[in-house]
Amino acid sequence: MAAYIVRRLWQIVPTMLGVILLIFFLFNVVGGDPAYLLAGKISNPETIANIRKQLGIDEPYYVQLWIFIKQVVTFDFGQSWSTNEYVSSIFATRLPASLMIGIPLLIVEAIIAILIALGVAYVRGSLTDRAVMVSCTVAQSVSILVYIIVFQYVLAYKFGWFPVQGWGNGFFENLFKYASLPILIALVVSLAPNIRLYRTFLLDEINQDYVRTARAKGLTENRVMLVHVLRNAAIPIITNLMIQLPGLLVGLFLIERFFSIPGIGREVILSVERSDFPVIKAITVYVALATMLANLAADLLYKAVDPRVELK
Amino acid sequence: MDLLTTFRTQGGLGRCGAAILCALSVLVVGCGDRSPKSAQQSASDAAVSSAVSPVQADGKKVLRIPFVVAETGFDPANVHDLYSSIVVEGIFDSLLTYDYLAEPAKVVPKITTEMPLAEDGGKVYTVKLRKGIYFSPHPVFGDKKRELVARDVTYSIMRHYDDSIKPVWRFLIEGKIVGLDDWYAANKKAGKIDWDAKIPGIEEIDSHTIRFRLTKPDVNFNYVLAHPAMSIVAREVIEKYPNDAQANPVGTSAYYLKEWVRGQKIALEKNPNFRGGTWDFKPSGKDPYDEILVKQMQGKPLAQIDRVEIYPIEEEQSRWLAFKDKQLDLINIPGNFSTQAIPGGNLAPELLAQGIRLQKMVDPEYTYTYFQWNDPIWGGSEPHKVALRRAAAMAINRDEEINVIRKGQAIKAEFIVPKGVAGHKEDFKSNIEYNPALANALLDKFGYKKDTDGYRRTPDGKPLIFRYNSTPTALEREFDELYKKNMDAIGIRFESEKEKFSDAIKREKRCQVKIRGAAWIADYPDGDNFTQLLYSRNIGESNNACYKSEAYDKLYEQSRVLPDGPERDKIYLEMQKQFEADTPWAMGVTRLRNQAIYPWVLGYKKHPVLLAEWMYMDINTGKGK
Repeated sequence: MAAYIVRRLWQIVPTMLGVILLIFFLFNVVGGDPAYLLAGKISNPETIANIRKQLGIDEPYYVQLWIFIKQVVTFDFGQSWSTNEYVSSIFATRLPASLMIGIPLLIVEAIIAILIALGVAYVRGSLTDRAVMVSCTVAQSVSILVYIIVFQYVLAYKFGWFPVQGWGNGFFENLFKYASLPILIALVVSLAPNIRLYRTFLLDEINQDYVRTARAKGLTENRVMLVHVLRNAAIPIITNLMIQLPGLLVGLFLIERFFSIPGIGREVILSVERSDFPVIKAITVYVALATMLANLAADLLYKAVDPRVELK
Repeated sequence: MDLLTTFRTQGGLGRCGAAILCALSVLVVGCGDRSPKSAQQSASDAAVSSAVSPVQADGKKVLRIPFVVAETGFDPANVHDLYSSIVVEGIFDSLLTYDYLAEPAKVVPKITTEMPLAEDGGKVYTVKLRKGIYFSPHPVFGDKKRELVARDVTYSIMRHYDDSIKPVWRFLIEGKIVGLDDWYAANKKAGKIDWDAKIPGIEEIDSHTIRFRLTKPDVNFNYVLAHPAMSIVAREVIEKYPNDAQANPVGTSAYYLKEWVRGQKIALEKNPNFRGGTWDFKPSGKDPYDEILVKQMQGKPLAQIDRVEIYPIEEEQSRWLAFKDKQLDLINIPGNFSTQAIPGGNLAPELLAQGIRLQKMVDPEYTYTYFQWNDPIWGGSEPHKVALRRAAAMAINRDEEINVIRKGQAIKAEFIVPKGVAGHKEDFKSNIEYNPALANALLDKFGYKKDTDGYRRTPDGKPLIFRYNSTPTALEREFDELYKKNMDAIGIRFESEKEKFSDAIKREKRCQVKIRGAAWIADYPDGDNFTQLLYSRNIGESNNACYKSEAYDKLYEQSRVLPDGPERDKIYLEMQKQFEADTPWAMGVTRLRNQAIYPWVLGYKKHPVLLAEWMYMDINTGKGK
């Protein structure tokens, strides 16, 4: 197991190198010159040259690339070009807000989606199953933007059940007051596709011989579904959940923006608007790293839920 | 991104969201009725209202306002976006400011005892600082109150030559003050900045008197001294935070930075060392609401508001709903909600019923579409090229732009100096008006014949294309559609050239962009700030059409040495004629600002140039103060 983990961690290095090269290439080829954005209303070539010098983008490409690699290795991405805030500080102050939405969402969404999927898989072909599937299809056909706009207008403004927007200073204030509606919206958006997906995983298992055998042994339906079927469907479900983990970082950018939540997703949009390369590259690198680590965690969980899985 | 110049780049998520909301809200609440009351009537109602603010934290008067874009930082020399500049103006003092009510805007002393007197034909300005102007408390000052003195003024100006902070406002003083550029050159040569140097053109006569010596007469120098970028900082604070003066603003104005959660909340509280003063302004005589303001505020001490809370809320719907939910005290009505909020130009009944006041104002700015002067087809002064530009300008339907794209929230710009700016000519009507028939005739006359595909070619048979450069935003797509329709009407093929803003600016500085929409908002409310846009020496800087005209340049140079007045107005009219004769731009529009204000906000009037009016305002908390 330890050797497997070390090998997988080692494989991150070349992957990360590829990510670094890709980000560097994209920034330099299609990223635009931030000096022109930072130069203000009236700028002359001397001003532009000075800004380029201060940002270090007048250096040869190989020097800039080397600096980038050093930043990734040391996790020190320096300061934002537009605000002078340290990138590490940006993460330290914005990540908690994103996680406060993302983690409860992931947990609640997984529990509800799995339970509903189990229910409809059990009564597959029934009116309930069909109604849920049609509802899911309709629900996932609607853009998240529509959910945000309607829920914000109706639930927050019209009914006054939630704040229209904003973020506070306290943990519980944020979790129960400000994060509730964003979590609800994200939940509505993500439930539909996941219920459909998990239902499919569960149906694949329900038709297996071991289920018939379990029933023939006289096990209760609850035990058949919750222990045998669910456990065997767990691997694709875990894969799906793990894939969603990196999304905790930036996946909720629309919700963060509409509800003025100071999260990483909102910061990504701001950074792109400002061509703030230090922030963009740090976020991109961290998302790539999170994706690779989530994949590793998924593999380890496979082994935990199914001893037949061998990690080679 | 420079917010002042990217007027067409806003939108994105906000526009998309708002468009959907607008459609939905029609279904949910229906369309608002036209109000029988005038906006002015509502203003009067609001003035006598006894409505009190719903927020009174610890008995403090709190003003809550939104920002459309997140701030970046608050170093006066380095601030490069409008919204951060607003906070800078609330915290720092520049030497001069603007009269709160005067129209047109009038420069007045802020921390000087009197207006600087221009001597030697406008080459020498002597400034006398008021005594007892103190920076807000900061640990770097110890327990003592730190007074603002002449050396602080010198230091603050010198900072615009510190390359390490990427100064963006140097152009305001570059080449103007004797010895300043030489000092900069010497620093560059030495590889370090001599902050203790004496600048010949900034003579500190005593601790409270400074004499500026300029390289040449400049009648607009007082405007420079009133600019927020010229705010006065304390050297010891800047040196305490060498890498992050942006986050540690310490000034002498009415407020100091109490709390800052970047991108989420900026809270300012009253500077305990604030010098004070009395609200004493006279009605402009042009706006009846001034009388109400005077009645509300005359004689009150300045800075009645204890705390200003600023919330960056990027999305239009979120901002608008937050205002309607009374989370904000005033708002610039988002463009996509203007049809709901001000149907037919009057405030919607539901808003009127709450005592909300509407304040309309014209921003000191305009938009324009320029034609590249160096372009072999569109640029140059040959008659057929002038005819081409004029025909294109005459084909652009600005009424449609105003009514459809800008939802009625703009007026046509006619003169090269916009409304509200010294030198503007009221009631001037440009000769270049929308007239596609005449445009077609003009093109026919100058040999732009139509080919078999129905589109015209140049007189020498080359393809003729209106290649319009813009950013890939929803708003720009609307302009693409309008311009395509307009150009089709005169047989000119339209092509849209999409480019990132920074790339467009880069090429623009090199005179490589053929046709592009731009905007200019006043840095200071004087015509010079606009007429310089066409001066050939500003090519590569602000003259983005790269327009070259000896006649215009000569007139511009004459106008520069004249103060605002009939003599200069006459020259401006000549410049306008030259501009129309050459048509390097198609004039666009001046946008309107519609402010919705809750009735408990007192003393507020959006000033055309001032950014932070907070020290002149009050909040009705229902308690005396």
